[in-house]
Amino acid sequence: MSLVDSAREMTLEDVALWDIGKRFGFYGSIAAMVTISMFPVFWILLSSLKPPSELFVFPQEFLPYVITIQDGQLTVVQQFPLTLENYRAALQERPVGRYLINSAIVASGTAIIDVVLGSMAGYALSRLRFPYKLHVLLLILFAALLPFISRLIPLYKLAIDLQGTVFGPFFGLNQYLGLILPYAAFQMPFAVWIFQAYFNELPDSLEEAGLMDGLSRVGVLFRIILPVSMPAMATTAIIVFIYAWNEFLFALTFMTQDSKRTITVGIALFGGQFNSPWGIITAAVFMSLVPLMVFMLVFQKKIVEGMTAGVGKA
Amino acid sequence: MVDSTTGKQDITRIGEEGLRGRLERYRELRITEEELAVVLLMPVLAFLLAVSFYPIVDTVWASLHTGYVVQLPTQTTEFVGIENYRALFTDGSFWNALGVSLFYTFVSVPVELVFGLGLALLLKADFKWKYFAQAAILFPWALPTVINAKIWAWLLNPDYGVISDILVRVGILSQPYPFLSSPDVALYSMTAITIWKTTSFMALILLAGLSSIPDHLYESARMDGASRWRQFRDITLPLLKPTILVALIFRTLPAFQAFGLPYGLTGGGPGEATTTLVLYTQQAAYNNPGPTNGGFALGSAAATVITMIALVIALIYVATLYEPEVR
Repeated sequence: MSLVDSAREMTLEDVALWDIGKRFGFYGSIAAMVTISMFPVFWILLSSLKPPSELFVFPQEFLPYVITIQDGQLTVVQQFPLTLENYRAALQERPVGRYLINSAIVASGTAIIDVVLGSMAGYALSRLRFPYKLHVLLLILFAALLPFISRLIPLYKLAIDLQGTVFGPFFGLNQYLGLILPYAAFQMPFAVWIFQAYFNELPDSLEEAGLMDGLSRVGVLFRIILPVSMPAMATTAIIVFIYAWNEFLFALTFMTQDSKRTITVGIALFGGQFNSPWGIITAAVFMSLVPLMVFMLVFQKKIVEGMTAGVGKA
Repeated sequence: MVDSTTGKQDITRIGEEGLRGRLERYRELRITEEELAVVLLMPVLAFLLAVSFYPIVDTVWASLHTGYVVQLPTQTTEFVGIENYRALFTDGSFWNALGVSLFYTFVSVPVELVFGLGLALLLKADFKWKYFAQAAILFPWALPTVINAKIWAWLLNPDYGVISDILVRVGILSQPYPFLSSPDVALYSMTAITIWKTTSFMALILLAGLSSIPDHLYESARMDGASRWRQFRDITLPLLKPTILVALIFRTLPAFQAFGLPYGLTGGGPGEATTTLVLYTQQAAYNNPGPTNGGFALGSAAATVITMIALVIALIYVATLYEPEVR
């Protein structure tokens, strides 16, 4: 082996080592981030499956089963029994199922309104010529900067005043629409912005082709623009849905009847400050997380893509 | 077809004209772009007027009057000028809440920005299991704030909390520590929890910004022998500036309005150690039925102050970071 050859081998080996080190560092960081992000969820799931006798001990057991291999013999030792008792209690003794349904109704309603009205306004602001266009856009975006608390008290007063009138169902206490309409309005600037940014990216030729084929402007909107704006619709719907599912301040104020509470309010008002039923709380919390976890797994690609269209080009 | 004296449409003529004729005329009535814009924008503008602009005006109005009592909201109120603001500014709890909110906001947001940028650079790479990892890492963003509060209240439980447990196992603590019930540490704990949750949101927005930077810029920089750091400083950061502005506004304003986290985590305690401005305002408005400065009067004054501060923060960001796009 010549000197040159060995030198080259050394280098290649070094490079390979460096590469392995880099890969190790990279996947190690990813694994660490995944662990840090998901550990609380794992812990909530584990706690919800523990019997009360295991919940209130210190130190806590980390795994229900421990597998040991001794003398070629595989033994599984159970550290504590797993129980679904907390889930039964959450669903039967507390209206957690009702809370989840309420949240689903409110969040879906909000998402639908924002997609329909947001796409309309976004289209106008992107594709149509009219006076004061920039001012209108700025006015809509400005609304996003206003704090929610400054809208809470007047809307609450309004809701009380409208109780029992024809407008009660639209904007009263303990009405789904009473939450849906404010939520839709709060997220409207965001929806308009996403649609406007998305429509800006579409080529003009798309509409011209439609007009040449004899479609009216409205026809172009329904036959051409709306079908191709599915990605923006999906992003808006997902993000607005998550917002409405998570909102707390208005839900706490406007839903005073237990049967109308959303899941966030229901869980927040569980138990007292000193004697919290943690077994039931963790079970309810885990149930409220399942839809969100499914959502994230299914839609996160859409969310990142949608943000790219909207925020990235801001 | 149209009666010349009344200007009304003659219904009897329609049969003669036929359905086809009517449709044809309808096509000729194609609305102009301006009219279409008005139709399309009207619902959104009506919405914003009713649910964003009217309430702000009403809040300011209410802050200049004697308070409503929650149970009797239709009682008459009297104009008292800046009396409610005087009561607000002489209330030690208000200044405490302002301090708590400012600390919480201006510690958590910069930390989130730095961590979020690191995370976004990590997630930009292509790797096996990428979508699973991305979903897991972005998950805290989707967590409802108040559920997040409950989760961490359990993890940091003073007697049985798993965080204490882990720290005892690795030898940092000798016994469980009351992270949320010790007055000196509760605010730090709350700030750390929000950093845990919203770093993923920062990462999400910055990731969007990163992926809109064209690859060829990096390629040519590499050809010129630019180091990774140079690429980051001269390409990534400048091109990411608009996204960073958006991310900062998106995070600072909600952080300044934190409510669910202190409500669910500590209820604002111990004492008032974690009572944020919005929690203070909500408590003033709904737990304080006093007729003069109490209830909605003090709450409205506090809400007006929060609005002013939020607008100032937004203005400062826009003024320092906004660069008009040159085309």
